[in-house]
Amino acid sequence: MNLHQLHSQTRRQFLNTTGQFSLGAIALQSLIGHASAASSGNPLAMKAPPLPSKAKAVIYLSMSGAPPSLDMFDWKPELKAKDRMDCPENFLKGEKFAFIKGKPKLLGSPYKFAQYGQSGTWVSEKLPFMAKMADDLCVIRSMNTDQFNHAPAELMIYTGNMRNGSASMGSWVTYGLGTENQDLPGFVVLLSGGSDPTGGKACWANGFLPGAYQGVQCRAVGDPVLYVSDPAGMSRETRRRSLDALKKINQGEAELFGDPETITRIEQYELAYRMQASVPDAFNIAKETPETLAMYGAKPGEGSFANNCLLARRLIEKGVRFVQLFDWGWDIHGTGAHDDLMSAFPKKCLETDRACYALVQDLKQRGLLDSTLVVWGGEFGRTPMNEARGGSKALGRDHHPHCFTMWMTGGGIKRGINYGATDELGYHIAENKVGVRDLQATILHQLGFDPYQMNYRYQGLNNRLIGPTNEGKIVKGILA
Amino acid sequence: MSLRLASLVVALLPAFALAEPGAGKGVDFRRDVLPVISSKCFHCHGPDEKARKAKLRLDVREDALLDRDGFRAVVPGDPAKSEMMLRITSKDEEEMMPPPKEDKPLTAAEAEILRKWIAQGADYSQHWAFVKPQQIDVFVQPPGARTRNEVDNFITAKVSEQGLRQSPEADKMTLLRRVSLDLTGLPPTAEEMSAFINNTADAYEHEVDRLLASSAYGEKWARMWLDLARYADSRGYGSDQLRMNVWPWREWLIGALNRNVPYDQFSTEMLAGDLLPGATPEQMVATGFHRNTMTNVEGGTDDEEYRVAAVKDRVATTMQVWMGLTAGCAQCHSHKFDPISQKEYYQLFAVFNQTEDADREDESPRMPVKTKGEEEQRAKLNGEIAAIEARGGVASAAFEAELHQWEAKIAPLADVLPPTKERDLPANIAATLALEPSERSQQQRTELNEFFRPKSKIFAAAAKEIEGKRAQMAKIKSVELPIMRERTADKRRKTFLLNKGNFLAPGDEVAAAIPVAFAPPPKLAQGEEMNRLALARWIFSADNPLTARVAVNRFWAQIFGTGIVETEEDFGTQGQFPSHPELLDWLAVKFQTPKADGGLGWDMKALLRLIVTSQTYRQSSKVSAVAAQKDVRNRWLSHYPRRRLEAEALRDQALALSGLLSRKIGGPSVYPPQPDGLWSVAFNGGQNGYPTSKGEDRFRRGLYTFWRRTAPNPTMFTFDAPSRESCTIRRMPTNTPLQALVTLNDPVFVECAQSLARRIVSDAKGDAASRIRWALELCLCRPATDAQVAALRELYDAELANYKGNTAAATQLATNAALPLPQGVDAAELAAWTVVSNTLLSLDGVLMKN
Repeated sequence: MNLHQLHSQTRRQFLNTTGQFSLGAIALQSLIGHASAASSGNPLAMKAPPLPSKAKAVIYLSMSGAPPSLDMFDWKPELKAKDRMDCPENFLKGEKFAFIKGKPKLLGSPYKFAQYGQSGTWVSEKLPFMAKMADDLCVIRSMNTDQFNHAPAELMIYTGNMRNGSASMGSWVTYGLGTENQDLPGFVVLLSGGSDPTGGKACWANGFLPGAYQGVQCRAVGDPVLYVSDPAGMSRETRRRSLDALKKINQGEAELFGDPETITRIEQYELAYRMQASVPDAFNIAKETPETLAMYGAKPGEGSFANNCLLARRLIEKGVRFVQLFDWGWDIHGTGAHDDLMSAFPKKCLETDRACYALVQDLKQRGLLDSTLVVWGGEFGRTPMNEARGGSKALGRDHHPHCFTMWMTGGGIKRGINYGATDELGYHIAENKVGVRDLQATILHQLGFDPYQMNYRYQGLNNRLIGPTNEGKIVKGILA
Repeated sequence: MSLRLASLVVALLPAFALAEPGAGKGVDFRRDVLPVISSKCFHCHGPDEKARKAKLRLDVREDALLDRDGFRAVVPGDPAKSEMMLRITSKDEEEMMPPPKEDKPLTAAEAEILRKWIAQGADYSQHWAFVKPQQIDVFVQPPGARTRNEVDNFITAKVSEQGLRQSPEADKMTLLRRVSLDLTGLPPTAEEMSAFINNTADAYEHEVDRLLASSAYGEKWARMWLDLARYADSRGYGSDQLRMNVWPWREWLIGALNRNVPYDQFSTEMLAGDLLPGATPEQMVATGFHRNTMTNVEGGTDDEEYRVAAVKDRVATTMQVWMGLTAGCAQCHSHKFDPISQKEYYQLFAVFNQTEDADREDESPRMPVKTKGEEEQRAKLNGEIAAIEARGGVASAAFEAELHQWEAKIAPLADVLPPTKERDLPANIAATLALEPSERSQQQRTELNEFFRPKSKIFAAAAKEIEGKRAQMAKIKSVELPIMRERTADKRRKTFLLNKGNFLAPGDEVAAAIPVAFAPPPKLAQGEEMNRLALARWIFSADNPLTARVAVNRFWAQIFGTGIVETEEDFGTQGQFPSHPELLDWLAVKFQTPKADGGLGWDMKALLRLIVTSQTYRQSSKVSAVAAQKDVRNRWLSHYPRRRLEAEALRDQALALSGLLSRKIGGPSVYPPQPDGLWSVAFNGGQNGYPTSKGEDRFRRGLYTFWRRTAPNPTMFTFDAPSRESCTIRRMPTNTPLQALVTLNDPVFVECAQSLARRIVSDAKGDAASRIRWALELCLCRPATDAQVAALRELYDAELANYKGNTAAATQLATNAALPLPQGVDAAELAAWTVVSNTLLSLDGVLMKN
């Protein structure tokens, strides 16, 4: 049901029950006026974007911890040739690393790369599924940030500010566009990998925007949305009867005081009732065919990335505006087998490769990809040097803000292209730098916003996702 | 530059001379013009010298009037000759102002304001809030208005001017609930209700005094200060480690509010208690206010970066809380709208830049605080030790008896046997033993006890027990609260202007100072430094135009939902003009004038009393048809503004109505039940488990709930509580379906419903209808209507029938481990009452203040 239907229905219901009301004509008129004002004042009511848009929904696959691009997409034969040789001095001058001390050794990728598709995109052997869809992707190999600790870097990319307190991308988008399906949250967050991202809940916070735009973290275990289940021992019929009684008394309240907020509240309790049915339904992946489950590698009941990808598709299909997945575990330092390049990293690839592929193909098959922007990536890059923290023998890479790879598809983005490049050792960007601000500007642009104009006034400042300066540029080269 | 602005004020008229009611024809620079040019022009033609275009600034009259090769931006009295008018009315994209690319077009109405203003003579006067509030004459009471104090004169004058009508007084019970929730955050109890209804005419004032004197007052108002102070029980940032040592600051806060420490003193202690001469431990504790800033312990982070961030936060918070200014902008560039240059910002930063704290893992400097809990524990152990001594010490009867037995055994031997080990007694002991007990001196008795002690089994047992208690005592550690402490004179930091706010890009060195535009700088005595104490004195100097206004506006907003200045956080040129400027100034002057001179002397309780005893506050909240049409937002207060309870009050009310609320005051934060798994954060040192409280700590008031910044209590968060990562001046209330899910299904609310159901069964009398009436009146605190009773009666009957056939479901719904089925109560009946109670706790009239 779209929002218009919803509201007219709510208004009809309201009008139908006004038989009990004894309002004067003016008061009634003003109440109805308020009710519709309150409805259009519904913070999540659907709004048209100010400019023509290419995408109407976003699925953001956040690889929390920062995946090693050099072992996934950014093939560097020269680095391989110089494997375990000293890192050139000029790279180290004035550099600050999170953990690397002294003179580190270069680390060529231990994995084989090959080119795929018409685009000839280089992909590592650890990503056989993503390799298959090389021609669906726009691989940006020249991402750049100025943050090299997880929390500030995540906050920078997802909220436009390295410190807590700003509004996240999903909050901005739902603030600007509302959401199509009022029976589901407009901005859903799904976690996998056993931990919240380092930036924590601030990564999907509403910040200075009203609370209604906060990302709703949905859970794999227990209620998908907090408190969506009725208390044990209460049937749906009982809940319905209790809401009927509630509505009667609240309508009396509205009549007595004439407060439009009461009308809004009646609507919100009715919405909640519908959410109680629609949320469990939306989150029930067991309703998918065995073929679909197999395509994603999804198993009902797990809190896996694969399940979350499938959920993302289900939610987008049902009219959710912004779905953000956070998959923890990409912090491949190499302090031991639990976080190294040889055991931990292939495991992460295995957990995510097939599901990413399935998600894109599934969206495509269902005709949703054109209107859905899919973004994949972490918060920064990883060093071309082996970290060797405390003399660790396990291979791994330290935090590296200068360059990393992300990919996008759908939502008006060119497919089957590689954009930007790093230098021959994968240390700095060689061409077409795409900063975090550029990425944010581009995403907003695809959704029909002018990223420079989209602002929210708070504490004397016109806050924007792209930050206070105009350094962020829409990356025209990747637009279809 | 701001000095220039101040010096250019044409005439220092009383701040609102032009804004009198009825003076609708002319435009007022401060009220009408400044908001327009500030938001549409200052960006390029304002105080920020770096962003300035065409070397033109419009915030200074002299500059606007300057002859620029034959044309002037503003020609007083002649709009047609003013370049400004040509530009703002031009259709030529090259010429028009603001330029199209700024996307800030002037509306026709705005252009007309500017035209009138120039025609009137282009008078510039200082932004209203930067001019000291003057003594204002109380408005004349409009005919027929009902007034109780001066507040009403100001309000009713505007009400009648707007063609609205003052609302009649709310009924007594509604009023009692309203004022109880506003002053204490708790609904009245059934006893308080019946006492009030049966009381005499001036009972309302008595209730106000009772509520202000109750300990719940300090808890309720602490809530506001916790938001302002960005108080939390964790450090924030990525790993968000727990801070188990900051709650004593909250304890101080509640106490100071209940003691009604005057606002100026209370504030000064928070800002600079450590710098007060002969600072008391309490005053040191007060400085914990500014140690609620976040610290970052994530590996690889630069301590200096986050120390600087904390100092910035202190500057921003101080200016926001006490002066209603948004100073934060000036950390990167001179403020675009208000007279705070970037240099002045860092001069203010320098004031806060001398404390010892430096984003350290141990949060030093800290101060041990003797807490009530700790004292109680010590007293308890001392009591136990005394009891053990009484039982087995040298003075105990048991020890005496054992000594006698030994004497009895040894005495006969002394006569007949040769000396043995047993008989090898020191001469003095032997001499004592030779005497009858009654003949022994005090000293001899003491000697004997001492001699026998090592041989006593009873004493040995007691000593061991006491040793255990002493060890326990030694383990009691005082909580060590992070406090503010100045670095010693030889370790002062240098402060630099930071380019774009970046701590790695220092510019010129700056000395501590205060922005000049607002009030004369503090006069420092010989040897006195420009430090936090000097800043606090400046904030509370009689010349400061903002402090009292910001304070009274905040209390007003807490009571009426919206401030007289709606932008409570911004009294600068971008803030909104006050709805009742004269009332604001009258209140501000009243609040800051000493009691001896007829003012309130910064007495917060007295200010609240003044507001809540006004007729304006006592009005009914029914919206009249006229008000609904003419004043949808109720800015003129022709009726009491109905509002939803804040997050904490919603919890407290549900617990209070159901009889579960614990009234234990103070102590460490508690962990009421919440869904599992909400605390899983990376790199947090294993602090993933939420240790759900047991016993009465499950049912404490919301302000004691453990506040973890990155994982706040979900129920509070859903009802718009902030994360407390930074200072929150006002919460923005929302109305969402997720809130409905909380009152319907959150296990805390369900448990309240279960408990309320038990009250209905045990405390209410009569048939189902009269029990429903009792419960409605308890929850809504007003007489129930037949329609309300009928709606719940229908529900009750249906659910009783439903659960009669389903005992298992009834038991599930009506009971939990802590609330088993009471004896002699039918499960189906209790389940039906639980459904009714669950509905009651979700009623609009319960969630709202009427």
